[in-house]
Amino acid sequence: MPKTAKQWPFRAISLSRALSRSCSTTTATSAVPPPPPSFPLKHVTRSNFESALADLRSVVRAADFVAIDLEMTGVTSSPWRESFEFDRFDVRYLKVKDSAEKFAVVQFGVCPFRWDSQSLSFIAHPSVSLLFTCFFAFLILRHNFFVFPRQELLVDGSSYEFLCQTTSIDFLAKYQFDFNACINGGISYLSRVQEDEAVTRLNLLYEDCQLGSRHSLKEVRDTPLVSMTDVFFSERMKIRLGEWHDALLRDRNLGSPIKRTLNDSNQPFQTIFFKMRPALALNGFTSHQLKLIQSVSKKHFKDLAYICMNGEGSSSQHLVVYTDSEHDKDLLMKEVKDEHRKGEEMKIKNTIGFRHVIDLLSSEQKLIVGHNCFLDVAHIYSKFFGPLPSTAEKFVTSVNKYFPQIIDTKVLLNANDILQLRMKRSSTSLSSAFSSLCPQIALGSQRSDLFFQSRVKVEVQVDDTRSSIWSSGAKHEAGYDAFMTGCIFAQACSHLGIDFKVFSPTEHLANSEKLQKHMNLLYLSWTNGDTIDLSTGHRTAGILSSSNLKKRYPKILFENIVLVWGFPSKLKAMEIKECVCKVFGPTSVTSIYHLDETAVFVQFGSAELVSEFLVLKETLERNDNAISVLHPLSKLLEGGNTHAADYGTYKEICSSPISKVLFADQAEAVGIKWKTKLVESEVEVRTQDHECSHKQSTVNSDSDSIQKNRRKIDYAIRSSGHDINDSIYDTEIKQISAANL
Amino acid sequence: MVSLRPLLQRRLLSTTASKNPHNHRNCNNNRIRSQKWAIKQVTKSNFSDSVEELKNHISSSDFVAVSLRKTGSFSAPWHRVSPFDAPETAYFKAKYAAERFQILQFAVCPFSIRADKLIAHPYNFHLFPRDELRTGMPSYSFSCQTSHLMSMAREGLDFNTCIYDGISYLSRAQETAAKVRTGNPQRASHVIESTSTPSVADSVFIERIKSRVKHWKNACKNSGTSVDDVLLISMRKLLLGSENYGSRPSMTIDVCSERQVQLVLEMLQGFFDELVPLIIPAKGGGTQAVRVVLTISKEDKDLLESELRDLEEEQTKKVRGFREVIDLISASQKPVVSHNSLNDFTFIHSKFLAPLPSNMDEFKSSLRSVFGHVLDVNHLMREIGSLGKVSSIPAAISYLRNRFFLPTNVEVPQQVMSTEDKILGTRVVWLCQLFTKLCSILKIDLNAVRFGNDSQLVSYANIFNACFTNSQESTDGDIRVWSNSRKKVSSKDLIFLWGFRNGITAGMLKSMLQGSHEVFSEEFNVRLVDKSSAIVVFWQPGLSETFLDAMKSFELSEPLREMVSEGLRASGYEIYMKACSLHLRETNLADSLEKALVCHDSETAPGIKPSEIQWSEMMIDFDNL
Repeated sequence: MPKTAKQWPFRAISLSRALSRSCSTTTATSAVPPPPPSFPLKHVTRSNFESALADLRSVVRAADFVAIDLEMTGVTSSPWRESFEFDRFDVRYLKVKDSAEKFAVVQFGVCPFRWDSQSLSFIAHPSVSLLFTCFFAFLILRHNFFVFPRQELLVDGSSYEFLCQTTSIDFLAKYQFDFNACINGGISYLSRVQEDEAVTRLNLLYEDCQLGSRHSLKEVRDTPLVSMTDVFFSERMKIRLGEWHDALLRDRNLGSPIKRTLNDSNQPFQTIFFKMRPALALNGFTSHQLKLIQSVSKKHFKDLAYICMNGEGSSSQHLVVYTDSEHDKDLLMKEVKDEHRKGEEMKIKNTIGFRHVIDLLSSEQKLIVGHNCFLDVAHIYSKFFGPLPSTAEKFVTSVNKYFPQIIDTKVLLNANDILQLRMKRSSTSLSSAFSSLCPQIALGSQRSDLFFQSRVKVEVQVDDTRSSIWSSGAKHEAGYDAFMTGCIFAQACSHLGIDFKVFSPTEHLANSEKLQKHMNLLYLSWTNGDTIDLSTGHRTAGILSSSNLKKRYPKILFENIVLVWGFPSKLKAMEIKECVCKVFGPTSVTSIYHLDETAVFVQFGSAELVSEFLVLKETLERNDNAISVLHPLSKLLEGGNTHAADYGTYKEICSSPISKVLFADQAEAVGIKWKTKLVESEVEVRTQDHECSHKQSTVNSDSDSIQKNRRKIDYAIRSSGHDINDSIYDTEIKQISAANL
Repeated sequence: MVSLRPLLQRRLLSTTASKNPHNHRNCNNNRIRSQKWAIKQVTKSNFSDSVEELKNHISSSDFVAVSLRKTGSFSAPWHRVSPFDAPETAYFKAKYAAERFQILQFAVCPFSIRADKLIAHPYNFHLFPRDELRTGMPSYSFSCQTSHLMSMAREGLDFNTCIYDGISYLSRAQETAAKVRTGNPQRASHVIESTSTPSVADSVFIERIKSRVKHWKNACKNSGTSVDDVLLISMRKLLLGSENYGSRPSMTIDVCSERQVQLVLEMLQGFFDELVPLIIPAKGGGTQAVRVVLTISKEDKDLLESELRDLEEEQTKKVRGFREVIDLISASQKPVVSHNSLNDFTFIHSKFLAPLPSNMDEFKSSLRSVFGHVLDVNHLMREIGSLGKVSSIPAAISYLRNRFFLPTNVEVPQQVMSTEDKILGTRVVWLCQLFTKLCSILKIDLNAVRFGNDSQLVSYANIFNACFTNSQESTDGDIRVWSNSRKKVSSKDLIFLWGFRNGITAGMLKSMLQGSHEVFSEEFNVRLVDKSSAIVVFWQPGLSETFLDAMKSFELSEPLREMVSEGLRASGYEIYMKACSLHLRETNLADSLEKALVCHDSETAPGIKPSEIQWSEMMIDFDNL
């Protein structure tokens, strides 16, 4: 398909953004770089959602796989919730859960890929939707669907609330994210659970109420006539209604149509027909006056029904309807009620919004491709299905039901040696993987040298525009990221030996043997390389971490870990280690890890030391005497606010929905009142024995402990050199893990 | 200062601006929204210029009005301040919101009244808590409520402007922390002559450093005269540890303690006139090293020192950001006018001063040290009886317009070129207007009155009652008479009920309660607080205790036992206090009360003694519940 590149306007900004470093060399060598076509990818907002959804349906149906990517308003609600080496599986899940629950999705990129056997290339349909959740968790999403919560259904007084991480918002701003478009045009959405809840609430409402109008769903309280004006007004209304009522009866008896003399729309009373019954439309009254009319008609006219019909927008029509009998009145009320209900149901249906896209992906059972997408999947689950389950296992089972096949390109790239070789072991971040695996697309080059021949061709189609070379520009725009992910996946498949040319349309790509061992494997934590299998719930510890840092780091044994927080803020990891080693011996502490400036993990050489440490701490704090003050640990306990507990407590604190910036504040907010949590479970009994004997020893043998201390101090001095290295190493790791995020 | 040209423009502008109010007042009374004033929109790009202008305007004005637009207000229905809230619980609620949400727009309007003319200088600052220093400050994250974002969007707020170009800031407390963290060299403060005699180690240290400095200095001086080749220069640099600070040579002396810092500074002062010491702070606080910069002459030294001062000033400015405006207002000691001061000033305190203290009294005193006089328009409205229930500014203005003849001529002598239809920050001008009108109704003369002399206005200052019906300061005698349903009730006569069926109405609950216990044969009222809980008021003192005691005992009457078996719980006001102070996070008041009750029971101490509850007398207007 020959493409005249000229016809596309040359957009300097987007070009420079997309090509970045890699481009600079190319431009230098080739004198005339052909400007790649840069038609924008499809932007979906509320205004074009309906049509975009219809297009997407057909495209997804035909697709071989669908790449997705999400942009959120934040990742971690507090620094200590960031991803650490010291995260156990369950803790990691809790952190992801917290993130998915608190932050909003603002952009949803969907990019279906279809193999075209005629052009021997993949056709990609990148699109991005803006989402905006409105009030009370009724959210709005877009196709690069701008996702933003907006209130379409206000069920109770609470308003939908989401968190923004300042750095993430700044990051989005750096990539020219349009916040106005998101807030004004974002598509709303409703999760399945929310929809069910709304329907149930609606049903309850209609079962409970006897009256038809939504306004009168509230208990009609007899408005007390407090002022003389009200009394006069009510009396006048009673007369008016009476006249009208009598006139109706008279006319009917005479068999003649109702006099139309009053029918001027400027009149406060306008006779119309409502559901085959004569009715009075009430115009131009205040809500207080309407209330009075309502109570008058209720009190004095058995065959008049007061009805409020909700019209378009906020306008509503108030009517007094004449009914033949009590039975007829009930019938009318029921009719009105049903109509209201249908209207409400429609409203709920309309609020589903972006979830239609998710439902589509789920019902078509397409292969979903994402890049490091565990968090993305968690967001999708919490926003479009329902509240996240409490454990990773339950979560994984439910996800697998909705999306039976998910492939994570980051897992794929790291797990396969051929791919590692191809990528020359470069970083597996999305953009660098894209430029090393798909240079022909990344560079937007039309060169047809041998080098590029082995590459999978990808053509981009947006609406009716198609091109084999394309650069939309915006990196970190969900639509383009999804596109890059899809390209990486297609290329990776080709390297793995999947030949698309012999690929029959009946054969699903997902069933390919070569992909099976990567299927449904997601990084639970990229920091330590732990993966989880969505189909089995089986977890694998991180063996494939590419960084050799891993090997130097001692193995993490969670039962050997003590969590210490609230110690004097000037204490450094090195000093804490020194302090503990003085008491428990030079080899007792394997490593120290700073959670934040107020908390550390201390990993001991054995689980026994954990309980010994906790018991000792408790004892020292209880006996406030000279020994306690002179004890080497007192440095750690200074200030009297030092808390210590086992790893389980960390999990407990992580599971709390509260998020304070500092860990020590968090622990306090969670409501931890004790200072030391002695080790629970099976060790408990033993601990108590220990405690007793220990107490005795501290009380009785002063000289002994002093001697012990001296020995430990000696050691501390000798080994301090090693400690310093260790602490430098710690910060190094922190930096690296931060960079990976 | 004013040249002819701006004067001309100003006239043109002011006629357009001040002409309108006349017309509006005469022609269409109710459409105050259509008034347009020139409000200066301030972002990062024009911040420093605007601050200079604002500074002059503040010093020439009598009052400063402030109005804030935030990303949210209350997260759950029961978090809204209610008439039954004591000042303390209202503070807890305001504190909770101030800590979660963010200010996006901060309108400041210095104004004065001159000959029945309101002269206002409105500014609308766009804020965003950008982490300029990469230190996780001013805020790690913040919450947004879509309802608030949408309403700001309707007003025409450009969120991109706000986020891309919003002005950042640091609170006073954060600034102190930031100085340490940025690690920028600081000028050495004045050397304190140490009294202690130097130890041997000290003198060895001093001698060593002294000879090093001497050596380095001589080398620098020599190299200045002779022309060396590049290799030699770099060799020398390496050997002597010489660096450059700007264009001047410098060297770094590593220190291990603050004591050594003092020693080095003393030594330098004593022996080397042409050296300027700089202190390089360590990451975790304290000092990492002393850097010595060599100057050629006395003049050069003065030059360097003034350069350093400027640099420091610039850095603090950058760090402070928008807080400069707060500091300006504070320094001017002008009375600050606000609407709903408790909400606004908890935000101001937590964002620009320091984390909010744990109780209302500390908050008040902390705030008072920064803002001497805070005038709450809401409170002034309360003083005018019939306005007690009007809570929004536009509503109050149109109410006054309909009832009083109060010609207020608003003049905004500002030059702002604005072509936009929607002008942000108009509320602050309304606020000035409303304040002026209220004062004239209350017979407070604002014409050129210095605040300190006007004791009448002082009596209205610094009252942070969020709730417009809860005014315990006023003595019984002058309780407003406009509302018949207004009765005085002690917090002791309030109880909270929860654990009843969802969807129940207050009326149903009341009829269920009647006949369930003898106390309910007397007059009492029931209102739902949110869908999960209700408040009961006993109009006769002492009955609440009887009821609560009855709930604790096993001898319950049959209907009540039935209700309790179904899950009904009850508690006194002290549990509500506790719920507000500790468990605001819950969306349902019932959950929060339940938690507070558990805590309360588990504590052996009797908790808050009735004597500690100074707020026990309160006003309840049941129509507002």
